[in-house]
Amino acid sequence: MGICEIKGLTRDYGSGRGVFDLSFSIERGEVFGFLGPNGAGKTTTIRHLMGFLKPEKGYCAIGGKDCWKERAEIQKTLGYIPGEMVFFDDMTGTEFLSFLAKYRKMKSNARVKELLDRFELNPGSKLKKMSKGMKQKVGIVAAFMHDPEILILDEPTSGLDPLMQNRFIELVLEEKGRGKTVLMSSHIFEEVERTCDRVAIIKSGKLAALDAVEALKSAQAKKYVVTLENGGAAAAFAKEGLRVMDVSNNQVTVVVQNNLKEFISIMNRYPVINIVTPNQSLEEIFMQYYGCDNA
Amino acid sequence: MINWTLYKRGILGSWKLLIVFAAVITMYFTIIISMFDPSLGSALDEFAKAMPELMAIVGMNPASAELISFLEAYLYGFIMLVFPMLFCIISAHRLIARHVDRGSMTYLLSAPVKRETVAFTQMNVMVTGLILLMLYAALLGIVNCEISFPGELDIGKFILLNVGALCLQLFIGGICFLCSCVFNDSRYAVGAGAGIPALGFLIQMISNAGEKTENAKYATFFTLFDSDGIIAGEPGAFWGMAVLFAGAILLYLSAVVVFSKKDLHI
Repeated sequence: MGICEIKGLTRDYGSGRGVFDLSFSIERGEVFGFLGPNGAGKTTTIRHLMGFLKPEKGYCAIGGKDCWKERAEIQKTLGYIPGEMVFFDDMTGTEFLSFLAKYRKMKSNARVKELLDRFELNPGSKLKKMSKGMKQKVGIVAAFMHDPEILILDEPTSGLDPLMQNRFIELVLEEKGRGKTVLMSSHIFEEVERTCDRVAIIKSGKLAALDAVEALKSAQAKKYVVTLENGGAAAAFAKEGLRVMDVSNNQVTVVVQNNLKEFISIMNRYPVINIVTPNQSLEEIFMQYYGCDNA
Repeated sequence: MINWTLYKRGILGSWKLLIVFAAVITMYFTIIISMFDPSLGSALDEFAKAMPELMAIVGMNPASAELISFLEAYLYGFIMLVFPMLFCIISAHRLIARHVDRGSMTYLLSAPVKRETVAFTQMNVMVTGLILLMLYAALLGIVNCEISFPGELDIGKFILLNVGALCLQLFIGGICFLCSCVFNDSRYAVGAGAGIPALGFLIQMISNAGEKTENAKYATFFTLFDSDGIIAGEPGAFWGMAVLFAGAILLYLSAVVVFSKKDLHI
């Protein structure tokens, strides 16, 4: 049995929103990626794990304890980064962290200093005057400072610059090395690729896929938009046997996966004037891989 | 059951509000007590004679010429009902519903502290503030009267009057706090938390307006605070106080239970 179990979790908000019969399990010491487009039900699932919502059907448990009934007990060894950082706005960061430490009845503050240094955060200013990135750092410190066994991180690096994102990834890896269990929702490919062991994708409240992250790496099917000299060439190019997603005028959108050489050699024979790789979200890459683009 | 860190933080956060309300009450007490004139009847009594209906609506029709009746009529019929009520409305909203609506409740609940403890602690913050405010008003009344009219005030009865007013305010606070716990949305929490007591007060004003509308008093809990009766020593008035107090406890308990069982979209 995993340290975090979700079984048949259902909450119907109507008009297809909510989560439906969701089940998965996270093993101790695992970093588990939790992905899905906006509104897919990630936050709803996390709210159930945190004991904020009572499941309509099914149940979730952390460390063998029911997330709704024993929520306060579970929180002793849990760290949480909420998707949205809202603090008590009249406090400074320092006041907030020391309030939380006392509120949690924490015995040691040693971790706080270390985390502040790691994220180069000076929490002396008022929380409401802090930038999004600074608030995020305060939230990270608040989630890790009591050295929890399990971490639930809802888009933990939103608002952080790349340097700090990298520090965060290092922190998660260290925690993983110390045997901690992490559930992390994220939109950032690198973050998931570098930290997660397994990934679950949720779409419209249902589990769309669950696989090892290695599968994700090989799944890096990339989209290319090839612009040719004229519409005729584009039409012919589209018939070359590549995975074509779209043809419009003189532009062809193809998906390339493990066949880059073939793609290049075909392009050599055509009057190509431009190639662009449009930005793809992590979810898009995944959805493509699992063939659930239109699901 | 109480998280003292949260309690301390709540009290610190209530100071400014308490000082504002204390200042307003100080102003009214000082002005109105100075208008009392034991020999001639006060300027306010002249108003009461000139516009009996209007003054009656806001409870300002003293039963006798004694100082205690004067205070009861001019301070405990309107000022000491409305201002502590406002304090309850603001406090109750700030302590629960606002945190839920904004999302800052997340931090109070992502810690090994039971929801019951969070709600009970916040309730105690509000009740502490309310008691401090009422205590301050009672002391202010006594000190003010002893300075201006030494020996005139029946202090025992005045304290009873304040205890009665406190029971009423605890009950009002209970309504506000319950609303703050029931509704996830600030608008509804404030709407109901302010609306219900305000409606009760409005009905009392209507029932004060004259004999035709007197029966309206049975439709509002404000009637349970019978200030004339408390001063006259009527048993019914003390039963009213007891009912308000018991009702208050019931309201606070329900609030804690509701908050512990409800879904929070934070």
